Amino acid sequence: MYAIGIDVGGTHTDAALLKESQVAALAKVPTDHGDLFASTRQALEEIWRHYPGDGPVRLQLSTTLSTNAVVEGRGVPTRVVAVPGPGVNLKSLGLPFTVHELQGYIDHRGREAAPLDPAELKGLRALLGTGEGEAVAVVGKFSQRNPSHEQQIAAELTQWYRGTITLGHRLSGRANFPRRMMTAFLNASVAQQQLEFAAMWRRVLEDLDIPEEDVLVLKADGGTMNLADSSERPIETILSGPAASTMGAQALTEREEGSYVIVDIGGTTTDLAVVVDGEVLYERDGAVISGYRTLVPAVLTRSVGLGGDSELHFSADGKITIGPRRAGAPLCLGGKELTPTDAVTALELADVGSRGKAVQALAERAGEFGLTWRELAERILEAFIDQLCAAVRSLYSELENMPLYTVRDVLNPPDLSPQAVVGLGAPAPVFIPRLAQALGLRYEVLPFSAGANAIGAAAAAVTLSLTLHADTELARLTIPELGCREPIERPLFFDLDKARSLAADRLKELGRARGCGEGAEIYVVEEESFQMVRGFHTVGQRHMVRTQLRPQVRRVRG
Amino acid sequence: MEKEPLVGLVFFPAFDWCISPDHPERQERLLYTRDQIQEEGLFDHPRLKEFRPRLAAPEEILRTHVVLPSLERNVTESHRIAAGGTMVAADLVVDGVVDRAFALLRPPGHHANRIVHGARGFCMINNEAIMVDHLRHRLGPDLRIAIVDTDAHHADGTQDIFYNDPGVLHISLHQDGRTLYPGTGFVSERGGPGAYGQTVNIPLPPGTGDQGMLLALEEVVLPILEEWQPDLVINAAGQDNHFSDPITNMGFSAQGYARLTELLKPDVVVLEGGYSIESALPYINVGLLLALAGLDYSRVREPGGVPVRESRDLIRQVAATCREVRELWRTRHEVDLKCVFGPGPFFERHRQIHYDTDQIFEGQRESIRLCSECPGWRLVITASTRSRTPAAAVLLPWKPCERCLGEARAQYEELLEDESFSQVVWQDPSSALQDEKSGRE
Ligand SMILES: [Zn+2]
Ligand SMILES: [Zn+2]
Repeated sequence: MYAIGIDVGGTHTDAALLKESQVAALAKVPTDHGDLFASTRQALEEIWRHYPGDGPVRLQLSTTLSTNAVVEGRGVPTRVVAVPGPGVNLKSLGLPFTVHELQGYIDHRGREAAPLDPAELKGLRALLGTGEGEAVAVVGKFSQRNPSHEQQIAAELTQWYRGTITLGHRLSGRANFPRRMMTAFLNASVAQQQLEFAAMWRRVLEDLDIPEEDVLVLKADGGTMNLADSSERPIETILSGPAASTMGAQALTEREEGSYVIVDIGGTTTDLAVVVDGEVLYERDGAVISGYRTLVPAVLTRSVGLGGDSELHFSADGKITIGPRRAGAPLCLGGKELTPTDAVTALELADVGSRGKAVQALAERAGEFGLTWRELAERILEAFIDQLCAAVRSLYSELENMPLYTVRDVLNPPDLSPQAVVGLGAPAPVFIPRLAQALGLRYEVLPFSAGANAIGAAAAAVTLSLTLHADTELARLTIPELGCREPIERPLFFDLDKARSLAADRLKELGRARGCGEGAEIYVVEEESFQMVRGFHTVGQRHMVRTQLRPQVRRVRG
Repeated sequence: MEKEPLVGLVFFPAFDWCISPDHPERQERLLYTRDQIQEEGLFDHPRLKEFRPRLAAPEEILRTHVVLPSLERNVTESHRIAAGGTMVAADLVVDGVVDRAFALLRPPGHHANRIVHGARGFCMINNEAIMVDHLRHRLGPDLRIAIVDTDAHHADGTQDIFYNDPGVLHISLHQDGRTLYPGTGFVSERGGPGAYGQTVNIPLPPGTGDQGMLLALEEVVLPILEEWQPDLVINAAGQDNHFSDPITNMGFSAQGYARLTELLKPDVVVLEGGYSIESALPYINVGLLLALAGLDYSRVREPGGVPVRESRDLIRQVAATCREVRELWRTRHEVDLKCVFGPGPFFERHRQIHYDTDQIFEGQRESIRLCSECPGWRLVITASTRSRTPAAAVLLPWKPCERCLGEARAQYEELLEDESFSQVVWQDPSSALQDEKSGRE
């Protein structure tokens, strides 16, 4: 079995060919931002030449299509129809879209506190028109507990609306109405583009004779989904690049267990991710993209404007700060400004371009501060390490401030502290050992550093997740991601174990339908269970189980 | 600060702690509040920042309380986290990290007296009081702190702790003690000889709603605060005055609560009671957070319920109480303390205290040294149905005069020799450590 991973990055598009768990080949082409499809296609052609054709091949794509569309605001015109009920005034949330509000309210337990108004439903037609080339997001407060209002609105819309319809509850089972609106809005607005992208790929696949089910698209959680799903839930493909790098690092590292920080040093930025006891950490609520807060499940990554090509700033007393902007190409590679890469080259720590040019430029600058060129180069390296150290520390202090809601957790807060730095990216061999020393940690610089993102994309596998909310007093259970709300037959016997096994069964079912491979396991990501007492009597129980189907991390060797 | 305040939220719902599984203080209490705040997206709001609580250290608790027979015997980790979280909230404000803070946590504390034999009114230790002493410990004893307790129950514990403390102005608005636990909080309770008039009680008739509460706030609380000029205003924000609360008879609404918060502008808000966990708390807390952050709360409403309409008679009654309380406040310095507390040298009071939660009865004799130089040192002799042998505590005020300090020390030495006490405690709030003759428990 072969797997090809392609990751479209800011400057390069990388491709990797895996044969079982061996890296068989890597390829790299420049990214053409005007035509991402062409770049991807080109990277595929490069890597395809290494594919001997003696076994089936799976194609896994991490694209920046949706990310770019979101960042650049290039989606189709999208309306948001919401059922907010009483609470926070939506106008005070600073949302980047206007919301058409309908009457009706679902309360925190998923009970209908006020119905929709049929006249307002009929009125949507005049508001939205036929929707040709447009999109609409339908979102209700607490729709993850009871999606019936969103479903009723959808039933009305499907009679005459021709654009994309996204329903909030299908995207996430988590609470957070503003984020749900944002997620559904972004999803609706980029769906058309993803459909076109999928159509283009279908044509490529025909040429290469690859069946459609063997093409998968990478998600922000480091897993994959098929083309059809990606057209329905394109928003999940945002930020798949950093997720791919993280998955690559996890696949390549020698550490199967343990806690470590992944540091991916690039030309413009350094991306950080955190692994605790062998498990990568996810964002608590969801991805934040371009300042937009979403409910998209995502690997927790933090990007720092610090890289080999970053700008250098010198204060009058010779203090150096680096970034966050990119200076352009380093001098040693024919650029115009001094960069950290020049310092590295001058000190002969790496062989990048013309060392002479780097030394000369450093010498010119060093004179101003009464330093030798070598001293200045060392100081640049120190400043780089200092800033990187500060970024790692601030990430961990952010994580250590995550709220805790039980006595047990406050007494024994989860230990996230890393034992090692796992580094990747071209400048990693220079900076990672120094960073690890400054942090007092061990380190590992990964092989195939430059192609880890593509390797991560190739090694990824289908992930699925769903949330089960059960309220035995109301005898109702809801699995929003599946759009189902159903009665609980024997509420008295529906305990947390039952909730868990039902969630697992539904997830397995879904996994079979989506062609989840062997070795995928079901994890309970989060769960809670409360007795509900009214007037000194237990009247029921409330359970929440969040499950995820994911493969065990695949190990890749050189 | 008026513009776009940043609010710090220390949220600790103690999802794994209860007094007993069917008690109002159970795991579920803040579940629906968490759900509502989360769903409204408030944990994400740029004007709101969430912080972790911490464990209060034993010495931080013993600065305020005398816990008998011992801290370990009574105070659990959950109590220490609630007290610690309240201190975190206050520190955030005084350190300028946030403009205002809300300690939305449990278990509550305002029925906990200075002397603690067990839990009463669901409370073991007094979160606000520990916070106030913590702040004075950090910032100096001259800090002036006003506590406005809006819980439906009289804040008898907080009143007890600061009853003779001139650094604290304690105002409690509550359902009339003749109709509700703990049965105290009458306008005639005005404080000890060292802080006379700084205990202000505003009992409200059952059925008082938004109009009556806001009337009392505007007619009494705000003018008194304006005159007293505290450095910090603390709101002990019990939410059991809501019209849907199962254990009280008040008529307050989420809108009323938000408006009260907007007018009071508290620096630190601390949750107390509130047991309408589904119909009231989620909405009150969202409204309260919005009001603290200076955001629009006009759309926050409890679905289903209709707030009570107060009768004209009831409002007249509230207005009369307000007039009485203001008059007492205006004339507080004109009262001849000798007529109230006797000629001295000591004022003595005897009390029977019921610990309803732990089913303990305490008998207490308290002697306060009448002193013109300082609030006076105190001696408390206490025995309870749990620890039958009496214990004695010598309590120093924050800034004792030389004479009181000397007398108190001599009294303490004398008590140490007295075999009839199981424990003798020396409490000096300005020192971290409580001296205790132990080993005789
Ligand atoms: Zn109360
Ligand atoms: Zn004195």
